[in-house]
Amino acid sequence: MRRSQVKVLLCVLMLSLLTSSAAFANQTVTVWAWDPAFNLYAMEEAAKIYAEINPDVTINIVETPWDDIQTRLTTAVMAGQTGTLPDIMLIQDNALMKNVIDFPHVFADLTDSGIDFSQFADFKVSLTSVDGRNYAVPFDNGAAINALRVDVLHEAGYELEDFKDITWSEYIEMGKDILAKTGKPLHSIVAESPDLIMAGLQSAGTWMFDENGDVFIANNDVLKEVIEVYVELVNTGIMVQVNDWEQYITSFNRGTVAGTINGCWIIGSIVLPEEQKGLWGVTNMPRLERSPNATNYSSQGGSSWTVRADSPNKDAAIDFLAHTFAGSVELYETILPSSGALATYLPAGDSAAYSIPHEFFGGQAIYAEITDYASRVPQVKYGVYNYEARDAIGVAIAQVLAGRDIDSALMEAEETVRFLMEF
Amino acid sequence: MTKSKIANVLKYVFLFVAAMISIFPLVWMFISATNTSGDVLGGRLLPGTNLLVNFRALTARADIGQALWNSLRNALVATVASLVVCSIAGYGFEVYHDRGKDFLMRVLLLSMMIPFAAIMIPLFMMVGQLNLLSTTTAFVLPTVSTAFLIFLFRQSARYFPRDIIESSRLDGLSELGIFLRMYIPVMRSTYATAGIITFMAAWNNYLWPLIIMQSEESRTMPLLLSNLVAGYVTDYGLLMLAISISVLPTIVIFLLLQRSFAEGIVLSVK
Repeated sequence: MRRSQVKVLLCVLMLSLLTSSAAFANQTVTVWAWDPAFNLYAMEEAAKIYAEINPDVTINIVETPWDDIQTRLTTAVMAGQTGTLPDIMLIQDNALMKNVIDFPHVFADLTDSGIDFSQFADFKVSLTSVDGRNYAVPFDNGAAINALRVDVLHEAGYELEDFKDITWSEYIEMGKDILAKTGKPLHSIVAESPDLIMAGLQSAGTWMFDENGDVFIANNDVLKEVIEVYVELVNTGIMVQVNDWEQYITSFNRGTVAGTINGCWIIGSIVLPEEQKGLWGVTNMPRLERSPNATNYSSQGGSSWTVRADSPNKDAAIDFLAHTFAGSVELYETILPSSGALATYLPAGDSAAYSIPHEFFGGQAIYAEITDYASRVPQVKYGVYNYEARDAIGVAIAQVLAGRDIDSALMEAEETVRFLMEF
Repeated sequence: MTKSKIANVLKYVFLFVAAMISIFPLVWMFISATNTSGDVLGGRLLPGTNLLVNFRALTARADIGQALWNSLRNALVATVASLVVCSIAGYGFEVYHDRGKDFLMRVLLLSMMIPFAAIMIPLFMMVGQLNLLSTTTAFVLPTVSTAFLIFLFRQSARYFPRDIIESSRLDGLSELGIFLRMYIPVMRSTYATAGIITFMAAWNNYLWPLIIMQSEESRTMPLLLSNLVAGYVTDYGLLMLAISISVLPTIVIFLLLQRSFAEGIVLSVK
């Protein structure tokens, strides 16, 4: 190659390097998210990592509760003022699809952004995509766990292993025995909350809407089976219904129940009472029996990072997420110990930090175990009318517990959702 | 014991029980501010020793001083501005009334039936286009003129003796002078009532600041409280302390002005 050609090539190379790093020069990427101990902490750590990659971009994190994000988002879109929204918003998975479909121009399509979505748990990618396009970088893991007080199990002659890979019937049989011997129900639930029903549905790869988005409640055999299990849990006294979230937390913090079944983020509340250190264990949730695709794995809650499509800082925001939440095992290793924020970014699961024994759970390597659960959670699509359907199911549960037959309660729930969809 | 004495005792027992029921949540909130989160959830009714710990945790968690100042500044500016505008409007509607103004007053009263949520979006558009987001001006503008306060001042002006206005005019006092030097001193109790109502509404306002106060530095107390309950784990001792701090200014202002408040209400609804 001639010297002049080499010079030209070098110039082009330098110019391209300059433009790529100068592209985001002095930009501020604003983020809205909630929970300082969890999401905000993760975002702050991500900002530190990105500061080394691209020091010209400032990450401005504004604490904003989820309900407030939803209100501001709706108001801004209705008022045509999407410019008032931040560059990155954390969105609850339960509401993500509805927002993307209702406000399609607000969220950036990240499918061809260079982010490798195959590196995330399948169920989470399914929840954050619409029509095969990805609209959010998956974040926290809501894989369902069955957390149990091992000392109570021992008192009744059981081991944590006895609860692994079991069916709901086996759970109920052991629960009856434990209740008789120790006087403790196995777990508690907020009355009329559909959370456990939803976890049961997803564990069998089914939801309240079919693949075409039509309501699938009245003739949904899986849903029927889950509700039958729910009623039996209540009637046998194995599951106690409490009035609100505070009472729910208190029930296992004070040891009035022997455990809880929920998304793995509940660990943050389980570990509060110091005196229970070493007494807990984690296993997977029970599975349904009649449903053909039943598994012991499900998901509850969780949220993901979206990018505003019309943001002037869109490219910087995507680059930031690509280098951190979608590309840095180091980030997930850093945030795990103090926040318990478990990743759905699968490469993080292989890191040594995930195999460290957890003292509160008797030295069990719970994080590696839960990451394994997450990789087995069946995929479902929550759909646009997810919240409406959840509420209708909550009403149906109350009716069934009051004595109404399941079929007619589900029929009414389906009609309610249909009405709301047409409204 | 005579019948009337028994009736008296029963009356006081009833009043005591009713007072206890209404004051209990407030007392429990102050007590809980001194307890740990676990004690609060456990329903502990005795004061604890965790007040300082809660305070340190609260100041580490959020800039409560900034939020208190934001709330106080916004509420005071909104109160002063709306008292000035609404009292002049109420006085004008009553003292200089004619058919046209009476019709306008009726239209104004009808506007009380429109909920804030219905006008929130156009208001947000205006504020957004004027680049007023996260400013006190944006907070104050929609509350400067409210139909309720104008109505309150108009009703009070109805009981302001016309003879005073007539004699002041004869003595050469200007119309503004009559308002400033005759009307305002007489109507102190109405101002106190309107002031308390406006201050409390502005202090507790949630929806409007939620939409417009987007920067961390412009956050008001209700928004800060909302942040404290948004996580996967809530510290209830810290939360109760924050709520206790946030209700103190309204309690103090109410206690200082309660006599005038009662007088003002009586005067306006006569």
